[in-house]
Amino acid sequence: MPETPDVDVIVVGAGPAGACASIELARAGLQVVLLERGPFPGSKNMYGGVVYPRILDELIPNWWDEAPVQRWVTRRSTMVLTPTQALTVDFRSTAWGAPPYNGATAYRPDFDHWLASHAEAAGAQVLCSTTVVGLLRDANGRVVGVRTDRPDGDLRARLVIACDGVNSFVAKEAGLHPPVDAANYTLGVKETLALPKEVIDERFGVRGREGVDIEILGGTGGVNGGGFVYTNLDTIAIGAVLKLPKLAAQKRRPEEIIAGLKAHPAIAPLVEGAELKEYSAHVIPEAGLAMMPKLTGDGLLVAGDAAAMCLAAGIWLEGVNFAMASGMYAGRAAIDAIRAGDVSTAGLAGYERRLSETFVLRDHRKLKRAPHLVLSDRVQHVYPELITSVAERMFRVDNPEPKPGLRRIVTSERKRLGIRRRDLARDGLDGFRSFG
Amino acid sequence: MTHIERDHTWPEISFQDRMDTVRFDVHERAHITVDGRTCEGCSTQACVVACPANLFVPTSDGGIVFNYEQCFECGTCYLVCNEEGAITWTYPDGGHGVVFRRT
Amino acid sequence: MSATAPIAVCLKWTPARLDGGPLGPDAADDRFAGISPADRAALELALRLADRLGTTVTAITAGPAGAERALRDALAAGAERAVRLDMATDADSRDVAFELAQSLADAAIVLCGDYSLDRGSGSVPAFVAHHRRIAQALGLVDIDVDTATAATVHATRRLDGGRRELLAIPLPCVLSVEGSLATLRRAPLPRALASRSAHIDVVATPPAHHHGAPAIVTAYRPRARVMPAPAGEVVLDRLRRLTDAGTAPSRGETVVLEPPAAAARIVDALREWGYLP
Repeated sequence: MPETPDVDVIVVGAGPAGACASIELARAGLQVVLLERGPFPGSKNMYGGVVYPRILDELIPNWWDEAPVQRWVTRRSTMVLTPTQALTVDFRSTAWGAPPYNGATAYRPDFDHWLASHAEAAGAQVLCSTTVVGLLRDANGRVVGVRTDRPDGDLRARLVIACDGVNSFVAKEAGLHPPVDAANYTLGVKETLALPKEVIDERFGVRGREGVDIEILGGTGGVNGGGFVYTNLDTIAIGAVLKLPKLAAQKRRPEEIIAGLKAHPAIAPLVEGAELKEYSAHVIPEAGLAMMPKLTGDGLLVAGDAAAMCLAAGIWLEGVNFAMASGMYAGRAAIDAIRAGDVSTAGLAGYERRLSETFVLRDHRKLKRAPHLVLSDRVQHVYPELITSVAERMFRVDNPEPKPGLRRIVTSERKRLGIRRRDLARDGLDGFRSFG
Repeated sequence: MTHIERDHTWPEISFQDRMDTVRFDVHERAHITVDGRTCEGCSTQACVVACPANLFVPTSDGGIVFNYEQCFECGTCYLVCNEEGAITWTYPDGGHGVVFRRT
Repeated sequence: MSATAPIAVCLKWTPARLDGGPLGPDAADDRFAGISPADRAALELALRLADRLGTTVTAITAGPAGAERALRDALAAGAERAVRLDMATDADSRDVAFELAQSLADAAIVLCGDYSLDRGSGSVPAFVAHHRRIAQALGLVDIDVDTATAATVHATRRLDGGRRELLAIPLPCVLSVEGSLATLRRAPLPRALASRSAHIDVVATPPAHHHGAPAIVTAYRPRARVMPAPAGEVVLDRLRRLTDAGTAPSRGETVVLEPPAAAARIVDALREWGYLP
């Protein structure tokens, strides 16, 4: 005789995925326990800076009136760096500074805590300071609950949703992940630096709650990855995303790479004199579709970073929105499955169907080549110099020499840097197929 | 091939001061253990470079000493470690470990 | 005193955790609020004593609704009943103690932590003992109760210089314990889950009688003292002076004098060594 479940659904991890799954489930009248290993939701979470919350329209109407947002991103820059040069594409939109907004900077300990409070308000039991250490399974291997690190710590449920983050020991224990390959991961390191709000406004050219998000290619000290700078109300966040095997091979410490970024002539004036308030680090599932686990098992769904739902595609760097959406769809699929009385892999097929119909998997499929391309050696170490030196020659007035044509500049710089035309064409095509 | 090597004119704070900005509620149980003997034969010792909290310290006899107290719980060490089983990695007991505030 | 009278544990809810580094005082927020390790030790001890005496534990705190988290954690760990005195966290100690004494009129033992997270003056336990006209002991590092009679607590109190004082305290009493005395047990999962929606008695309190100065949340620091610059031409000499390295200990003497003369000698010595102006 199988033991009776204590609750309908256990959600592991009270980040954006777990909170959104719990909101859906609790609102449908199901009994939900949301387990969080930190002392409060968000206490273990850190990211590279911007949340795009439009998916919350479906869960929390007018979320912008209550979400703990630092600034609304109204200025979005992409910067290409070499040691002495910088080329920036800088976009501004006043539309992004008014409802329904676009991106926002927010502290995750604030944002995730707020989102989980909605799960609690909907009727989910949120239990913090509780680490899940294993899965309970029946004789057929179906997941029937979790084991926590508390005494008398087994909890049974009809269904478990694993939203336990990038290291997801739950999904790994269930055998849903392929063998771990460090090349699929990057390390994000960040400094939160304090400056008076007026100084931030002045340096970044913004007012009120307007904010800036700068994504950087190059400047990571020879380690494949990227950098970022963005504004909170009275702090600046600066950090780097570093490909793990390269980081180890280059023998450069993460904090040295941030220091190098801060010393760059294009960045230094932005962060000068700021006081370090918090240093942080987190691993990112960078490879997208290439590393995605099976999303469904018997009695088990996986969402958020645990399912590698993180889009690291160069000009688009998103994660929290994918976590919120995958959690929400996992919740909906779970409701259907429990009502139909079938929580097997087949009964939970509605999850992957929903993901495939929406941006969650469609973006990942469309951009499946992008993570690899963006972190490739040519994009990382050769093209930044090509781009900046072409710009330098375009804008340089070399009188009495006449102006050279763009095509001549590109060809001569390409040859100077030893880039084969074939590689450039292939990468261009790859880029077009990904981003076009 | 560009390789950024520049003078770091930025006045850097000490690593200990850097880590002192982070809050940790340390539990008495070490949630990560390292089998230092396995590390003696390791040629890369990637964890020493990659750990953002700088918790892996090489010893003069080629081994590794590890401190778990100021761990970000990020997972970098076990991901870069190429010695099967050298690092035993779990999360700290519920409610303990790193507590982020402005991240 | 009846052996079935409950044991009460007073938990001081402190708005901001003070070990939070440069962010500490800014983060005055329930997420970073909590009770001290000494309060946790008091709770654990209350649970152990209640087990041995066959009685129950009542957890009580004075604070706003956010403070109920401490009570829910106490219920999860094994407390039977939880009471919140609805008061501001900066209420005057005398008011807090008066209300505590009212609510805990039947408690056989009132346990408190020896210090709160904001390192207050420790006056609340003394006022509670005063209001109830019962004994008080503080700085305790060990507690034992004779279960047969349940009339006396045998306690060990820490004194300076590594000394210990053995106390026999008649019940009922107010006891303050050090954080090192016991580690709070981990709450079992079923109790932890049940505690999230458990009932908490909320006691409305009258307007304050006393208006103390608002609590100033600052990190605890030992007092600074002026040190004369060490003499010496070269850095190494000055370092030696500072650290006494490589020299016979020059400081310290045992004073064997009558108390007034001894006090004068101590003050002179402290002045000589630079501890006093």
